Amino acid sequence: MARKDLLDIASLQREEIELLLDQSTAFKQLLTSSGKKVPVLEGKSVLMLFYEPSTRTHSSFEVAAKRLSAEVTNFNVAHSSITKGESVRETIETLQAMRTDYIIVRHGRSGLPGMIARLTKASVINAGDGAHEHPTQALLDAFTIKEKFADPRGKRVLIIGDILHSRVARSTSTLLQKLGVEVAYLGPGSLVPKYGPATIRRFTNYDEAMAWGPDFVYLLRVQMERQDVQFFPSLREYHRIYGITNTRLEDIRQRGLYIMHPGPVNRGVELCDAVMDYERSLINNQAENGIAVRMAVLNWLTPGGDLPKREPAYASRSGAAPALVMP
Amino acid sequence: MILLQNTRIASENSPVLVEGDVLIVEGVIQQIGPGLAVPEGARVIDARGRILMPAMFDAHVHFRAPGFENKETITTGSEAAINGGVTGVVMMPNTRPAIDSSAVVSTVLESAKRKSRIPVYTSGCVTKDREGKELAEIDGMRLLGVTMLTDDGDTTGDPAVLLRAMQYATEFGMFFASHCEVPELAGPRAINEGVMSYRLGIKGSPACAEEIIIDRDIRLARAAGAHVHIQHVSSKMGMETIKWWKSRGDVKVTAEVAPHHLLFTEEHIGDYDTNYKMNPPLRTQADCDALLEGLKEGVFDLIATDHAPHTPFEKAQDFISAPNGITGLETALVSLYHFFVRPEKFGWDLVVKRYSAEPRRLMGLPVPTIEVGQPAECLLFDTEAETTFTKEFMKSKSQNTPFINQTLQGRVDVVILGTEILLEREATVAVG
Repeated sequence: MARKDLLDIASLQREEIELLLDQSTAFKQLLTSSGKKVPVLEGKSVLMLFYEPSTRTHSSFEVAAKRLSAEVTNFNVAHSSITKGESVRETIETLQAMRTDYIIVRHGRSGLPGMIARLTKASVINAGDGAHEHPTQALLDAFTIKEKFADPRGKRVLIIGDILHSRVARSTSTLLQKLGVEVAYLGPGSLVPKYGPATIRRFTNYDEAMAWGPDFVYLLRVQMERQDVQFFPSLREYHRIYGITNTRLEDIRQRGLYIMHPGPVNRGVELCDAVMDYERSLINNQAENGIAVRMAVLNWLTPGGDLPKREPAYASRSGAAPALVMP
Repeated sequence: MILLQNTRIASENSPVLVEGDVLIVEGVIQQIGPGLAVPEGARVIDARGRILMPAMFDAHVHFRAPGFENKETITTGSEAAINGGVTGVVMMPNTRPAIDSSAVVSTVLESAKRKSRIPVYTSGCVTKDREGKELAEIDGMRLLGVTMLTDDGDTTGDPAVLLRAMQYATEFGMFFASHCEVPELAGPRAINEGVMSYRLGIKGSPACAEEIIIDRDIRLARAAGAHVHIQHVSSKMGMETIKWWKSRGDVKVTAEVAPHHLLFTEEHIGDYDTNYKMNPPLRTQADCDALLEGLKEGVFDLIATDHAPHTPFEKAQDFISAPNGITGLETALVSLYHFFVRPEKFGWDLVVKRYSAEPRRLMGLPVPTIEVGQPAECLLFDTEAETTFTKEFMKSKSQNTPFINQTLQGRVDVVILGTEILLEREATVAVG
């Protein structure tokens, strides 16, 4: 089934994920062999709508779109006062006139890309919304893992850090589980919610988490800007309790674990400098793979068609009026 | 003269419906019995298949006037009330300006007299402009008939201020209604902290944010010898806290529950549906179950809707930006019937007691009953008909309800207040 938008990982079928990852492989081979543009999106327009500052994701999407020969327009709103949902609606209605085919949106408000998708016939790609989802990050993470293990089923990924505020943790863990990977969270008790998915193990002690036997250690960036109250006493203490210190790096080296991080890295917080030179650090691979994955996503989506409708939760549960199951 | 033929009469005192005719003369119930003769000139309503009961009273509504008339006015709000079978309401004071002085109370009540076909009462603020700092003009408001003091929309944050207000105003026979929420714990997003807040990536409001203030305010009331009324309870432990305090018997505490907290859970929010965004937020099925038990056991003295209209423009924003609240006046009675009375979760007697009689007792008002000699304030409810809550059906200025465009079983057909028939749904009235 053709999809207009990529808003989340949760609604993707496993077959769709496999297809996207296969296509990412093809795009990576194509680019590493020729490095030239391909005319897949020739004549198509891509609008970059980034309401939050971003370097990595923004440039990755832009390069991906340009390599597919699309025309890219940047709507610079990162520092504007446009934050409220209604202003976004007005912006989208205005931008309809540009007849754009794809809108790549990042916003601090969870759920906002979905709202935009219901307003436009353009394909909307969620490039990160609040603490909700970051689907292309999840796809590039899975792609990077599959480069090491073609069949990642049964492998274990330990995601460390601020789970509460992390859209990366939500999307990546959801996707990896769909591929049969086991996922666990580790972090301060204040940042690893107890009401997360029951299928994900929850650790607040580093040694216990390592005893679980992960194959990958996935460090999240500590996002102080998202924390409206203090969740732990200091960055120094965080590094000592949850970070990859020099001593822990040596242990990780001996265990042969891979290290991942979505970037940008807070050196001396999530990890010590030496991690960057660790031979099993996949941090640069992730960044490189992001372009191939985003090309695959742009190629996969089909702009146009009917606007997606939100089925009222009431209706979906009730069907005919008397059927709603109630206490 | 109005003759209601072949009705089944509901009361708060019995689960059994009593069949009979009811004759209303000059706004007073004059005769009740089988096969009453049709007096000359009487309007005859064949109420076969319909239930006659006292009209409802909603002790917690937001009519948004003054200041937010784009959402609701006293006229549209009171017409919405009639549309739902409600013949009296208590407005909350979170208007602009806030209802915190005799001047504003006087303006509101004068306006209500002119613009509403039903009695509209107002509560007053505990503190000036609901800021939680200085006491509002309590005695001035009392002289105009205000008995309920609340900073609804927010908790009165400073417990010392609330305690002093309780100590002071209790002398005048006033009581306090508490919106319970620790703001530092709750945040502004109005979603339960739990599975759904995690899934949607939105800061949640834990149930303890509500439960702490429920306990705090009851303790303050006990210390002050005051009467505290706990508004729109949403959590199991909140209910249990009230139950425990009531069992002690050394503090006067009443409480209310809203239909939406009985009916919906956080799961209904689904894909960021702002029609399910309210404060306190929707919680879990276990909470719903506990609230229903609390209602049946009498932990909750009354049902109140927290009718909270917002414009489509506002509710069409993303979930985080959209305001809290849903409308309830027009859907409450039908949804209570559809989801609870019809499947025999509870009977009509509970509805009459909790949504008609007790709210009026809370406010110190006469309680209408279907008895000879009593003023007529009643409604006819058709259990066989359906109601579809379309925009055209709604009389409220706003339609921010999960029930919009949904069909439920049951219909409020006729509403009578004194000599006036305020609502006749269809051609139900004939002339005898």
